[in-house]
Amino acid sequence: MVKNTFRGGVHPLGHKELSREAPLCEFLPTGDMVFPLSQHIGKPARCIVKKGDGVLVGQRIAEADGFVSSHIVCSCSGKVKAIEKRRTLTGSSMDCIVVENDGLFTPAEGFGVRENPDNITNEDILQRVQDAGIVGLGGAGFPTHVKLRPKNPDAIRYVIANGAECEPYLTCNDQLMRVKSDAIVEGLELILRLFPGAEGVIAIEDNKPVAIAAMKQAASGKKHIRVLPLKTKYPQGGERSLIRVIAGVDFPISRLPADVGCIVDNVGTIYAIQRAVLYREPLFSHCFTLTGEAVRNPGNYIVRDGTSFAELLESSGGLKDGVTAKKALAGGPMMGIAMSSLDVPIQKQNNGLTLLAEDPNEQAQAQMTACLRCGRCTTVCPVGLLPQLMADAAIDGNYERYEKKLRGLECIQCGSCTYICPAKRPLMQILKQAKSEITARKRAEAGGKK
Amino acid sequence: MNTALNLSSSPHARDKWTTAFIMRVVLLALLPATVIGVINAGLHALLVVLVSVASAVLSEFAFDKLCHRPDTWKDCSAAVTGLLLALSLSPSVPLHLPLLGSMFAILVCKCCFGGLGKNFINPALAGRCFLLISFGSAMSSFQVDATTSATPVALLMTGEQVDITKMFFGFTNGVIGSSAAALLVGGLALWAMDIIHGEICFSVLGMFTLVIGLFGGQGFNLQFLMANLFGGGVIMGAFFMATDYVTSPVTKLGQMVYGMLIGLLGGIFRLYGGTADSFSYCVITGNLFVPLIDTYIVAKPYAYRRFQLIKQSSIAGEPLFKRIPRPVIVLTVIALVSGLALSGVYAMTKDTIEDQKRAAQAASFLVVCPEADHFETDPAIDKAIADLNGGVYGSGFGRVTINEGFAALDAGGSTVGHALSVTTADGFDGNITLAVGIGADGAVNGISFTELNETPGMGMRVDESEFKDQFSGKAVSRFTLNKAGGSTAEDEIDSVSGASTTSGAVVNAVNAALDFYRTVVKGEN
Repeated sequence: MVKNTFRGGVHPLGHKELSREAPLCEFLPTGDMVFPLSQHIGKPARCIVKKGDGVLVGQRIAEADGFVSSHIVCSCSGKVKAIEKRRTLTGSSMDCIVVENDGLFTPAEGFGVRENPDNITNEDILQRVQDAGIVGLGGAGFPTHVKLRPKNPDAIRYVIANGAECEPYLTCNDQLMRVKSDAIVEGLELILRLFPGAEGVIAIEDNKPVAIAAMKQAASGKKHIRVLPLKTKYPQGGERSLIRVIAGVDFPISRLPADVGCIVDNVGTIYAIQRAVLYREPLFSHCFTLTGEAVRNPGNYIVRDGTSFAELLESSGGLKDGVTAKKALAGGPMMGIAMSSLDVPIQKQNNGLTLLAEDPNEQAQAQMTACLRCGRCTTVCPVGLLPQLMADAAIDGNYERYEKKLRGLECIQCGSCTYICPAKRPLMQILKQAKSEITARKRAEAGGKK
Repeated sequence: MNTALNLSSSPHARDKWTTAFIMRVVLLALLPATVIGVINAGLHALLVVLVSVASAVLSEFAFDKLCHRPDTWKDCSAAVTGLLLALSLSPSVPLHLPLLGSMFAILVCKCCFGGLGKNFINPALAGRCFLLISFGSAMSSFQVDATTSATPVALLMTGEQVDITKMFFGFTNGVIGSSAAALLVGGLALWAMDIIHGEICFSVLGMFTLVIGLFGGQGFNLQFLMANLFGGGVIMGAFFMATDYVTSPVTKLGQMVYGMLIGLLGGIFRLYGGTADSFSYCVITGNLFVPLIDTYIVAKPYAYRRFQLIKQSSIAGEPLFKRIPRPVIVLTVIALVSGLALSGVYAMTKDTIEDQKRAAQAASFLVVCPEADHFETDPAIDKAIADLNGGVYGSGFGRVTINEGFAALDAGGSTVGHALSVTTADGFDGNITLAVGIGADGAVNGISFTELNETPGMGMRVDESEFKDQFSGKAVSRFTLNKAGGSTAEDEIDSVSGASTTSGAVVNAVNAALDFYRTVVKGEN
């Protein structure tokens, strides 16, 4: 069998066995819920409640500010306790709505009853996705209603349901595809109605045979939908990797997937779309993996937005005895953000908490040597960049070469180069700094011209 | 959660491989060659290896300590340099050579340029070249079983036959790491493990083979190609020296260009160069081009490359049309064009060269038969030459062929002697062709060379009158060579000192001419 994959990439240890077989279960928090006003790419939402207001599950508490923005929905019932700056997972403070949870989870009116899909128009689909406050649940948090309105809907050739889950440790999409396969296929069909020329492709890494079988079962008999097993390799689930495999194109970072005729949505997002369109259910919960060597009971959960990471960990049984967590990651080890404290809220696009007993970066620092120029970073780069030369240029401050000759801004920051580097150099960190430096310079230049 | 959590940029997972691991694998890959070298050459070879490695590691250690730099000897890269240097030394070198060589390699070529990753030429090769220049005679004396002789490549370069099987397994005179088989095993293992880049080693070997095959004069003769590949450090250079990470380009395209450059230089140096050690210099020359290659050959991201195919339907296989990098095409074209140009020039000038040869021949006939007015063909001589059909003449003269012969006539038309052109293949450096003039009395008038490519200052001196005039006016049936000099007898010829091979070949050629003259012209037997 020809393995479906992209060029480059790495094979980090999966560690998925920790939580792979743990069934999805709903987690209902008891503590205060915190809703940051910006959980998406675009402008932060505008708060529409006041301190002391009573709120219900599914009630909109902040409204999208403009087209590229998203609504924030309350995930519990109770009373607005405060609207204040709170620390979020990146470590910075942000305006948040804090809700005192009454523990009853009383739902608001107007959702939960299934409607007949035939009575729903295409415009309804788009409107309901927007009303539900759905953003990309794969991690980036791009507002989905924007993605579903490309300039030229007829040119879309593929709608890709991303079930690759290439990030090590995370397993919640695997579980979601096992139990909600019919709903995901239904969601994909709803999206396909918007793009008459498109084919639906459900892409899953071949380390999830049960999910592949379940999705194949659910998609059988659907003419425009197929399930595509992919080689297990990081970053297989990156949208550019998927498009490389499915549409056979690489495209510059300045272009969107829609420009090459593709729409890529995480399976979790597609499930949320199905709930939003058929049940008018806004997005207030999503699947989530709690895992890592330091965790006593790794598992997969449906968590409510706004739940504290700390509360979820404590309720699940906390850490293993005698083990201290060296590192707490929102997400998995390849793309995840290291958190300084767990006392921060889970946001819409967070799909996991990984607690590592050992910090590989700490070990790497001890083993760091000068660059060998071995070229491994070049071999693994899924974009075809030359991270070693880019890092050299960045360190020299030669941003001209970095941007023009090496095209360093094409970097998707997947971290493969850093992962593979035998000299253990923090390549990605250097590349990230170079990118923000160049962006800052450009902004300053543009400002100067005005 | 009361402990502090680490913060860092993603990714938070790292591959197992470290610098030290890679270096250890390279050391392991060199082990078979080291073991065979030591078994073949004996204990002294082992001492050379140990001294070289220890000197390299200690030099790095001392430098780091003195300059207050972090300890880097533990990453094993210094040990690799030391071992590579030892493997490229003769097993019989005095032990201060590996000591100094490793010190030079590590201290001057590596540490002074900033340590690991910063050196601009391969330290092991630089150390070897340093020793070659400083201790020429010790470096090029190769001893096995207490007999000194030339290495197979040195023999090959003088056109001798060599035993390829012995070369392949390394049981010949040569450096410690001369076992091509063991180096191939190690090198291919490294390639299979993705530690060295196939782009480099295979373009080196490919280009080298191409050059040897095209211009080596023996075509793509497997025997000849293998003899060239398995000797002179080509395998070692291709798999272990050229692929050194630090001194090779980082892009695939750059690596191919770099590899082909080394292969091209290697082939040219092997065919037209004067030393069997040339491959070291080729790799070092290649190293010097690396900054240039890395500056200008920069691969574009996949999205910007040409031949970007937008597939219309579902996944097919990879596109059939695989990209051939432009430098490959360019270099191939250059190789083909220069090959064609060379053969074209030869074809065009062939006749002119022949004409000039004939003119030189005629002139030389006049020299050896000064009384002649003109020359005429002699049917007896022509028939005898035709009967020989280009074969070796007679026995006891070595590999002598008779080219042509004429009767020399004076203005009155009477025969005053004969002139013969003979060629011997026993010269020190290829053929020697000379004209021999024989008077009507059977005495030698004189000799004159028309083709002579001997060593200047040595074999070339047969063309001086001091040697040539010894033949003149003597009527003997056969000359003998006196290697000691100071001859008094009529039939003795003093050898040019230090060139007894050339002198002997000339004496034999003259004897052959005399024998031919007596048999064919005089009808004696």
